[in-house]
Amino acid sequence: MPAQSEDPTTALNHLTSRRSLLKAGAAGAAVAPVLAACGGGDSGSGGSGDGEPQTGGRLKVGVAGGGASDTLDAHDPTDNVDIARNHALYAALMRFDNDGTIEPYLAESLEPNEDGTEWTLVLKEGLTFHDGTPVTTEAVVYSLKRILDPDNPMRGAGDMPGVDPEKLEVVSDLEMTIPVDEPLVTLPEALAEYYNCVVPVDYDPANPIGAGPFKFSEFKVGEYSVFERHEGFHIEGLPYVDELEIVNFPEDDARVNALNSGNVQVISQVPHVQVAIMEGDPNVNILESETGMWLPFTMNVEEAPFDDVRVRQAFRLIVDRQEMIDQALAGYGQVGNDMYARMDPSYPEDLPQRDQDIAEAKRLLAEAGHEDGLEVELVTSDISAGVVAAAEVFQEQAREAGVTVTLRRVNPSDYWNPEEGFPYAFGQDFWSARNYITQTAQGSVVGAPYNETMWGEHEEWLEHLEEARQTADEDARHELIRKAQEIEHEEGGYIVWGFVNLLDAYHVSVHGLEPAVSGHPLGSYAFHTMWLEQ
Amino acid sequence: MTRLIVVRLFFGALTLWAVSLVVFAATQALPGDAAQLILGRDATPERLEALRDQLNLHEPVAVQYMQWLQGLLQGDLGTSFSNRLPVAEYLTDPVRSSLTLMGLSALVATPIALFVGAFSALRRDRAFDHTSSMGTLVLASVPEFVVGILLILLLGPGGLGVFPSVYAREGGPEQWVLPVLTLALAVAPPIVRMMRATMIEVLESEYVQQARLKGMGERTVLWRHAAPNAIGPVAQVVALQLAWLAGGVVAIEFLFNFPGVGKVLMDAIGNRDVPLIQAVVLLIAGIYILVNLVADVIGLAANPKVRVANR
Repeated sequence: MPAQSEDPTTALNHLTSRRSLLKAGAAGAAVAPVLAACGGGDSGSGGSGDGEPQTGGRLKVGVAGGGASDTLDAHDPTDNVDIARNHALYAALMRFDNDGTIEPYLAESLEPNEDGTEWTLVLKEGLTFHDGTPVTTEAVVYSLKRILDPDNPMRGAGDMPGVDPEKLEVVSDLEMTIPVDEPLVTLPEALAEYYNCVVPVDYDPANPIGAGPFKFSEFKVGEYSVFERHEGFHIEGLPYVDELEIVNFPEDDARVNALNSGNVQVISQVPHVQVAIMEGDPNVNILESETGMWLPFTMNVEEAPFDDVRVRQAFRLIVDRQEMIDQALAGYGQVGNDMYARMDPSYPEDLPQRDQDIAEAKRLLAEAGHEDGLEVELVTSDISAGVVAAAEVFQEQAREAGVTVTLRRVNPSDYWNPEEGFPYAFGQDFWSARNYITQTAQGSVVGAPYNETMWGEHEEWLEHLEEARQTADEDARHELIRKAQEIEHEEGGYIVWGFVNLLDAYHVSVHGLEPAVSGHPLGSYAFHTMWLEQ
Repeated sequence: MTRLIVVRLFFGALTLWAVSLVVFAATQALPGDAAQLILGRDATPERLEALRDQLNLHEPVAVQYMQWLQGLLQGDLGTSFSNRLPVAEYLTDPVRSSLTLMGLSALVATPIALFVGAFSALRRDRAFDHTSSMGTLVLASVPEFVVGILLILLLGPGGLGVFPSVYAREGGPEQWVLPVLTLALAVAPPIVRMMRATMIEVLESEYVQQARLKGMGERTVLWRHAAPNAIGPVAQVVALQLAWLAGGVVAIEFLFNFPGVGKVLMDAIGNRDVPLIQAVVLLIAGIYILVNLVADVIGLAANPKVRVANR
């Protein structure tokens, strides 16, 4: 078994069935399209909204993954089940809405000064932690210090460059300022990440107290955890259920069987091969979510033959995107247009969709001096479901353009190891949904931890990005990002052929599930909106 | 015979030490270290450093091993890398669950297998014998997880719906049926075949003929004269099968989401959690060694020549 990935779509399995594409609505670049839940038997009951929500009961959820490394630590979740528990226990200052927009959560407001060098945070009134103590700015300072501790940096430390925990200024119980050494327009994004949530002063993971919808009751590493309703949760009337049980299910079949036999009412991540079978069960509904997760091919712009932009353009024209989605994702995906950060409000939906064009690809390759054909090695690995299949499909499609692709398969846990040759001239990767600036910091700029295309030295692009990073005004920033995106669309090192759809399943007696674009299953583990028909 | 047991125990301990050395070397040879695998894709150089410090991964490999061995000799299995709990504490429940599962499977499988084997021998070349030969051959050649999946399809919620196919914490005793049955079906075939072969041999032997010629009842012949002589060789096979159970539970636990050592081992390897891997592997190896020792002792005890010679 490959090392357990933190990514939610690892459970997508080998894929067989096909499914027609659901075209992304182009209306308004700001809101990414969200699919409604597609029901199993009765199409009417998919998702929420049928009848008044009822309170009470115990909701049992089977989540993919989990194991000996399970943790309840608010700032250090890795595995899927950790992330699920984190969403139950804790709440962050901001939150990603189902369509990917960022909205205040525990915060009342979070506003930058003009140049984005100082942020003012105001908390909602009357917030309480699970133990009844109020959520104050003091707790926020403690939480940020814990995350940014230089001796033991937590997962979110990298999201907040320039935030010095020593410089945080408490104005009152509800108001504080966050000065940053350099403009940080992505702070709201960072503070919306579940792993940057707020914990009380002197927080102890052994007695996990947060401000999330459920409070801690029982936890057994590698097996299960139980939570109770937090009466003081800040959204009036939520959560609906009295108790929540989250059970580990690292094995796909066991998870599906648990739903079928009624051991749990909800499961995350249905393997794609099982969907057709489950759709035939009148007691089970499927929740399908379009996400911003992408599985690109990566072309290193500093290495031959990809240092020639024409070769990169030709390779992008080789791909039949729909066929790749059908083959590698069983049809559960959306066609990509060689740009990432699909959920970013600035995503240029209006750029023409790139389609397969073998003749043009051949012409570009000939122009680049490869008229007699080209041989390349594609390094692939089972790092996420569908990746290896995509490589095989590419190998086939490239043959038509006279390109011979040899595949080199690497152990998943070694894929990003420089000893294996990372960054490869031609490789692959998987990325979850991130907004543009945050994503470039992870994968595109010089010095990024996964700088796989070596793209970051493109001057014009970098200029736009740098300026965007320092532009607090949203519209102006989005315009700059669009320009940067366009450059990548024309010349970049990624082949973004598609985005993955996520599939969850639940019993018909459960209501209140809605798809979210985050890429986290069950609508970003929104347990607080789920309710049981009594 | 006491001397034999003591010597065997000594070599058993030596074997365990060798196993621990091999396992440790193997974990070092695997790509990536615990810090990398625990942090996964979120690893930053700073976080890796901090975690490696916490886990003592900066020490030379030999030092790490000696520290672990020293702890072991003092009865301390160390602390798990992945969840920072003491290994002994973390393993208590999984070990208990797995031993129960193995024990139940052995209790179900052994008597039935012995009976079927003996009965086949008595009904040699008749319908029952052919059926059981065929059945055991098929079962022995199919991997146990396939048997498990077939049982789920047949008896689980999708099929007849008689038994639940997943272990649930608050589930009733019926949830033990499928895992136990799967393991029992996996260990039984070699026992059946061995019992049959041995019984046939014994039944054709001169002393059984002699007993029959003396005019003894068939029942007495079987139980007083034939069965005891068949036990020696069969005990060896039974023991080997029970020892196999210790490792065989791994796949079955995964299939049924059963919270035992198998699942723990899978995780531990995935996380390069060396103390946890060591503890589980040593446990499985220890069971293997002990069960084999017991089998040898039974085999010897069933052999009058040895039994009398050492008295």
